[in-house]
Amino acid sequence: MFEGFDKLTSIERQDAFLDMWVSADGIEFAGEEAKAAYKERAGLVASALKIDQGIKRVPIMPLTTFAPTMLAGVSGRDAMYDPDKAGQAYVDFCNKYQPDTAGAAPMLGCGQALDTLDYHLYKWPGHGVAENLSYQFNEKEYMKAEEYDHLINDPTDFWLRSWIPKTMGALAPLADLQPVYGSMELPMLSPWLISLGTPPVQEAMQALLKAGKQYFEWINAMGAYMAQIMAAGFPFGAGGATKAPFDTLSDSFRGTTSLMMDMYRRPEKVLEAVERLVPPMIKNGVDGAVANGNPLVFIPLHKGADGFMSDEQFQKFYWPTLKEVMYGLADAGCVPCCFVEGAYNQRLEYLADTSDIRSMYLFDRTDMAKAREVLGGKVCIAGGFPISLILTGTPEQVKEATKKLIDDAAGDKGYMLSIGCAMDEAKDATMQAFIEAGKHYGKY
Amino acid sequence: MADLKDLFTAVVEMQEDTAMELTNKYLDEGVPALDIFNCYQEALEEIGKRFEKQLYFIPELIMSGEMMKAASEILKPHLSEETSASGGQKKLGKVLMATVQGDIHDIGKNIASMMLDLNGLEVKDIGVDVPAETIIAEAQAFGADVIGLSGLLTLAFDPMKAVVDKLEEQGLRDKIKVLIGGGQMDEQVCNYVGADAYVTDAVVGVNYIKGWLS
Repeated sequence: MFEGFDKLTSIERQDAFLDMWVSADGIEFAGEEAKAAYKERAGLVASALKIDQGIKRVPIMPLTTFAPTMLAGVSGRDAMYDPDKAGQAYVDFCNKYQPDTAGAAPMLGCGQALDTLDYHLYKWPGHGVAENLSYQFNEKEYMKAEEYDHLINDPTDFWLRSWIPKTMGALAPLADLQPVYGSMELPMLSPWLISLGTPPVQEAMQALLKAGKQYFEWINAMGAYMAQIMAAGFPFGAGGATKAPFDTLSDSFRGTTSLMMDMYRRPEKVLEAVERLVPPMIKNGVDGAVANGNPLVFIPLHKGADGFMSDEQFQKFYWPTLKEVMYGLADAGCVPCCFVEGAYNQRLEYLADTSDIRSMYLFDRTDMAKAREVLGGKVCIAGGFPISLILTGTPEQVKEATKKLIDDAAGDKGYMLSIGCAMDEAKDATMQAFIEAGKHYGKY
Repeated sequence: MADLKDLFTAVVEMQEDTAMELTNKYLDEGVPALDIFNCYQEALEEIGKRFEKQLYFIPELIMSGEMMKAASEILKPHLSEETSASGGQKKLGKVLMATVQGDIHDIGKNIASMMLDLNGLEVKDIGVDVPAETIIAEAQAFGADVIGLSGLLTLAFDPMKAVVDKLEEQGLRDKIKVLIGGGQMDEQVCNYVGADAYVTDAVVGVNYIKGWLS
């Protein structure tokens, strides 16, 4: 990162990375005013993360997926197939609503490349869901119970030769690739290279190269709009993203039902697998954050929520490796920002464990007054505003609820105002009311 | 009825292999299949109680569903058609379950369907991404007392409302209760949709439905 970084403690590293981000060095701004606005906004976020008592206002961080494009009248399909339309909608969203952080437009993904790959892990507009909607996860058992050892012994090999062939139809032939290990010696090199030369694998490789090119062109187009967003004074709300090891195993590999049974049928394998996933999950978050010069690493949490598992199961299977990932991120100077989906009313005490690093928990349905009671002043808390009011409420209701939420949650000065849901859609009048009320009532 | 305490304990304590061994052992020993089946039913009732007390959660519900399924496979040939179809009990009422149009999520719906079934309701699950017209036609054909609408995403709000609106248009609203369930359901959404109740938890949903039908 910089000279002397390795001598710092985790929290000092996090603060150094946050300071670098707030300094906005290297960003080309539209003017001095935009630069000042960027520094002020990023500064508010950094202050809330540090629970800095000098903070002037509650930062406002709306989590958006398709909301900017839907508000602009761009269909879900166009959002994923036309980076100019998607990028412009994200620019317009920032200019119109003036949030303190911009949403990560690249999360929308590149439809053309998904077509090329014959992608199965999600359904997307025009591919399994209607063209006006957003993409949706297509959960299945993509990893069989007997594959635990493959994942544990060599995650990358498992990823490349087992999981990717099942989740990307065009790459199915990669299941017949030989492992790379033989390349250690010339006489043992042939099986791997021969398997690469078979017509189906050659075709799969062509598809992979094509999808890569499509993604590269797409980000070049999208990048221009992201640069515009920053130039206009809006920092991005996330630099990288990763997941809790248990969620990766549950959501993407085994499927919820299978993994829930694995906790009884093969608990030792589950524990070994989640432990094995810690380093890749850390690396994934850090790489994104460093590449984007933004320390905030977004971690959506799923299966550890109240109701999904017992406290004992959470303590055994979920929390230890999530915590390891969070501390691994902090060690690299990144700030883990957990998006706590569902409710965590019964888990709040655990979250207080991370009070010795900078961390943030953005809540969906957790009782925010209770969250503040347990976590206030220890870690940064965020979210808690119901999406239902944005979509079906009146501006007056939104204003009132925003005031109440700030009264309940912001008192320790380590709070960020956000809707507790990644927004696939929004309504103009209520969105406007939400941001205005946040800025008005959020003054300290 | 034979004393099947060890089987009851094995099921309640999630000892899947032991439960299966004991099921086979008792069948071999000539214990009536219905007794064994009833033992499973009692165990499931106990599991339901533990779920309500928040001692058990989704893993246990899924495990118990699996154990019941496996046991039913073995016991079915030994049970008369009548008893196996009704589980030996009269059903409390009929619930049609669906994830609404546009939403393809099914985990919550599947868990709720299983819980309703285990609680003595006759459940028809018609899948995901189901248009309002189909839901209503299926509910009528099935003779549903309750329609359970599932949706994880916010985009489910309007399709849920469409179901209620169409029920009203067709004069069916007072005959069929509507329960909505999913991660983003709350009172605000419930009012918007015009449903009778909302839930974010399968057990609460079962209790609503049992209350309506009692």
